[in-house]
Amino acid sequence: MTNPLELTGRTILVTGASSGIGHETALLLGHLGARVILVGRNQERLAETLRLLNGEGHRVEPFDLSSTDEIPHWLKGIGASSGPLHGLVHCAGIQRLRPLRVLGSAVLQEVMRTNLDAAVSLTRGFRQKGVCAESGSVVLLSSIMSLVGQAGVAAYAASKGAVNAVTRALAVELAFEHIRVNCVAPGYVETEMTAALWSSLTEEQRSHIESRHLLGVGKPRDVAYAIAFLLAETARWITGTVLVVDGGYTAH
Amino acid sequence: MERSELLLLLDELLELEPGTMKGSDSLDSFDGWNSLAAVAVLAMADEKFGLSLEPRKMAACQSVNDLLGLFGDRISPEIRG
Repeated sequence: MTNPLELTGRTILVTGASSGIGHETALLLGHLGARVILVGRNQERLAETLRLLNGEGHRVEPFDLSSTDEIPHWLKGIGASSGPLHGLVHCAGIQRLRPLRVLGSAVLQEVMRTNLDAAVSLTRGFRQKGVCAESGSVVLLSSIMSLVGQAGVAAYAASKGAVNAVTRALAVELAFEHIRVNCVAPGYVETEMTAALWSSLTEEQRSHIESRHLLGVGKPRDVAYAIAFLLAETARWITGTVLVVDGGYTAH
Repeated sequence: MERSELLLLLDELLELEPGTMKGSDSLDSFDGWNSLAAVAVLAMADEKFGLSLEPRKMAACQSVNDLLGLFGDRISPEIRG
């Protein structure tokens, strides 16, 4: 039997590919046979991801996703040079721990721009003629903070709640263009981004978070598997969903 | 930034009347001092001073003076004339 997660012949663009979930997703997709286009700001680290990738035909595309209005044009150029894309994974994201009393609009807008605006602009760019193949799959990164509350994460939670909402709206809008849109909502995953957050917590707060994850805190690979599932034929009948991958955090 | 200015910023974070905090005060003597207030101080240090304070060091602070000490040379000595 062939592997239902097989991605041979597919070209998939992954943002945030220089570290964490994006890095791990890129490696897994390469392992499953995909050609991967690695996007991030740090060219050196992208080159390191590229070096570790299995297979051939991968490439690095350094780009600052905060230039959201330039994204569709930039993707058009990638489609022209790499051929049509079959998948888009938006892993780049930021987290700012800000209790409400110090949550200024600058921080709120910074978080929304990276986590939401970039997701919308990337999907907008992806659906263009000459960019998306005859059918495509978009996977956005949400968070369980979009589903449950936690002190100090209002900006992040708002951005991820918005990602859930646009996932559903865009799934409806793009279904007729044969593009599926889904998102993954991870619980706490050990990455460089979350390490900074983790270090700002007290021992008591950390053990509380750990105890809420019934299966322990996650590894980037745990989320990468869910992303690969949504990209592959395994999810051909799935669109507009928020796939929770949280070790049981929201089960109780 | 002068020490008195930082004290006013801390007053604001803890929603105290300006001029309430004194160096020798115990942090626990303020109702508003809790883990969330500590995170707010970390964010303020990052945004206003570009400082990444260590949460563990902050958790070990007993007095306002201890807290001010974390800002090191970012606090300039008061000029009194």
